[in-house]
Amino acid sequence: MLLLRLALLATPLLAHDMWIEPMTFSPQTGEIVGVKLRVGQDLLGDPLPRDPALIRQFVVEDSEGRKPLVGRDGADPAGFFRVPAPGLLVVGYSSNPSAVELGAEKFNQYVKEEGLDAVAALRARRNETGAKARELFSRCAKSLVLSGTASDAEADRRLGFTLELVAERNPYSLRAGQDLPVRLTYENRPLSGALVVAMNRLNPSEKLTARTDNTGRVRFRLRPGGMWLIKAVHMIPAPAGVDTQWVSFWASLTFAPKGS
Amino acid sequence: MRLSQILTASLVLLCGGAARAHEIGTTRVAVLIHDDKTYEVEIVTDATTLAEKLEASAGASLPPGISADRLQAILTSFDETLRRRIKLAFDGSDVRPVIAYSVVPPIDAVSAAAATIRLTGPVPPGAQNFTWNFGWTFASYAMTVGSATQWLEGGESSTPVSLTAAAPPPSRISTAGRYLKLGFTHIVPYGLDHMLFVLGIYLLSRHARSVLMQVSAFTVAHSITLGLSMYGLISVPSRIVEPMIAISIAYVAIENLFLSELKSWRIALVFAFGLLHGMGFAGALKELGLPRSEFVTALLTFNVGVEAGQLAVIATAFLLVGWHCAHRDWYRGRVVVPASMLIACTAVYWTIERLAF
Repeated sequence: MLLLRLALLATPLLAHDMWIEPMTFSPQTGEIVGVKLRVGQDLLGDPLPRDPALIRQFVVEDSEGRKPLVGRDGADPAGFFRVPAPGLLVVGYSSNPSAVELGAEKFNQYVKEEGLDAVAALRARRNETGAKARELFSRCAKSLVLSGTASDAEADRRLGFTLELVAERNPYSLRAGQDLPVRLTYENRPLSGALVVAMNRLNPSEKLTARTDNTGRVRFRLRPGGMWLIKAVHMIPAPAGVDTQWVSFWASLTFAPKGS
Repeated sequence: MRLSQILTASLVLLCGGAARAHEIGTTRVAVLIHDDKTYEVEIVTDATTLAEKLEASAGASLPPGISADRLQAILTSFDETLRRRIKLAFDGSDVRPVIAYSVVPPIDAVSAAAATIRLTGPVPPGAQNFTWNFGWTFASYAMTVGSATQWLEGGESSTPVSLTAAAPPPSRISTAGRYLKLGFTHIVPYGLDHMLFVLGIYLLSRHARSVLMQVSAFTVAHSITLGLSMYGLISVPSRIVEPMIAISIAYVAIENLFLSELKSWRIALVFAFGLLHGMGFAGALKELGLPRSEFVTALLTFNVGVEAGQLAVIATAFLLVGWHCAHRDWYRGRVVVPASMLIACTAVYWTIERLAF
């Protein structure tokens, strides 16, 4: 595991993370929870209001099953759900693709920052390093919310997003000194060699990073307190005949175990 | 190609339309230029997230649950920091605006406090354009200058916006000319169906009175429905109007085969068909759009243009065949009957086509 310290807001902001921020991570049974979508960097995010043109899936999965989040178009929070019973709830948002075009330098820097080595290598091989790049990006964001007391028997669940981070243990029931295993899947198969980054709201400039192993797993030792964001980006060349060069998927996972 | 690539390709293609979508935030920027003398830029944005970013840039963090008054005080205290990521330039030269901050409390428990940041100052004399950059947002936002809107990514500079007054709205004369032309071209060359209808009317009889009476009835009728439709007083869907127009053409052409004199019922029918064609004209005119300021001018001149188009069709037919041949014995057998049959066949085909789709 590698510890990075990045100067906050020192570099121009290129590619932005997107995450889910419920108004509480520890709701009571029966409580209605507002779910905010945020786009930004270092956990400083702008509200992303509910946009029906962007939403592919916006759901919560609880003990009763999967339900769409209700909400008013254009509003922040973008959705609401009701907690039917104690337990771990999985909130998910996956988006339709958005297009963005970046100049060569900006794109190269962003590819480097996100650890997309294969993309950089392919660009070099195609002699495209000096060319601007057009990209279609989609969001695959999840959040874990705990109502009541944590149980080891419960864990994150797969929602079937194109790129998906799955916490393989309940992050709310981890004890001191225990690692959180996180698995990254792309099209339902483990993705190896991908950079996964974890950061905490209380100190977002301090980033934990790791590359996924052959089973798509990383392990993080996360201290309790503050909201955690775990994220990963995967980018592939766009298929021929499409008006874009790259297609990217942005997975994120948020949760907030209470500090002692 | 791997299966995953095929899936991705189909995903990308399926989402082609949606791919233009942007992650649009809640920030919006409105620019007003008052008489070329002063400018006013209003940024409306989420107060809490802006305060968070400003605090973070100073290495601090914002405690949760802060009141609107306190947020306003924080924004005001970070005035110099905020200015670092705002760029307002006239002809490429930065200006330093006066900035006022106000934060209104959220309207309910789940809403967020909104900050209104107003930047004001004098426009440098003779300035031609201005550029804008707001670097405190990550999401896309709209910047409006008068009635023009630019969509900007967070931190992206706007393209230079011209300050020279927007082109004045077109004058009545130019509007009249434009719609006269649109009306004419709606018949010649684009309105083959209307051309065939008019030809059908023309071919009935060799007498000028016949053409005059029918054309007058047709004109009065289509003017009525064109006007009523454009004012929204009547509305008949084009899926009904368009096949009916085709039927009317077929009827007129087929009747020409059995009739060679003007009868009063023929005038009545042409009048009724004119009502239909008027609704067709209205459908076309609605697609073209009418300027709100010169609605009547545009409507009248479009109608006159349509009229001129019809007269052009009749004049051409008269010059080509009528003048030389109308009084020959073979005129009916070699001109009226074959031409009417051709028109009738075309119209029947159109009727089927328009009903089918």
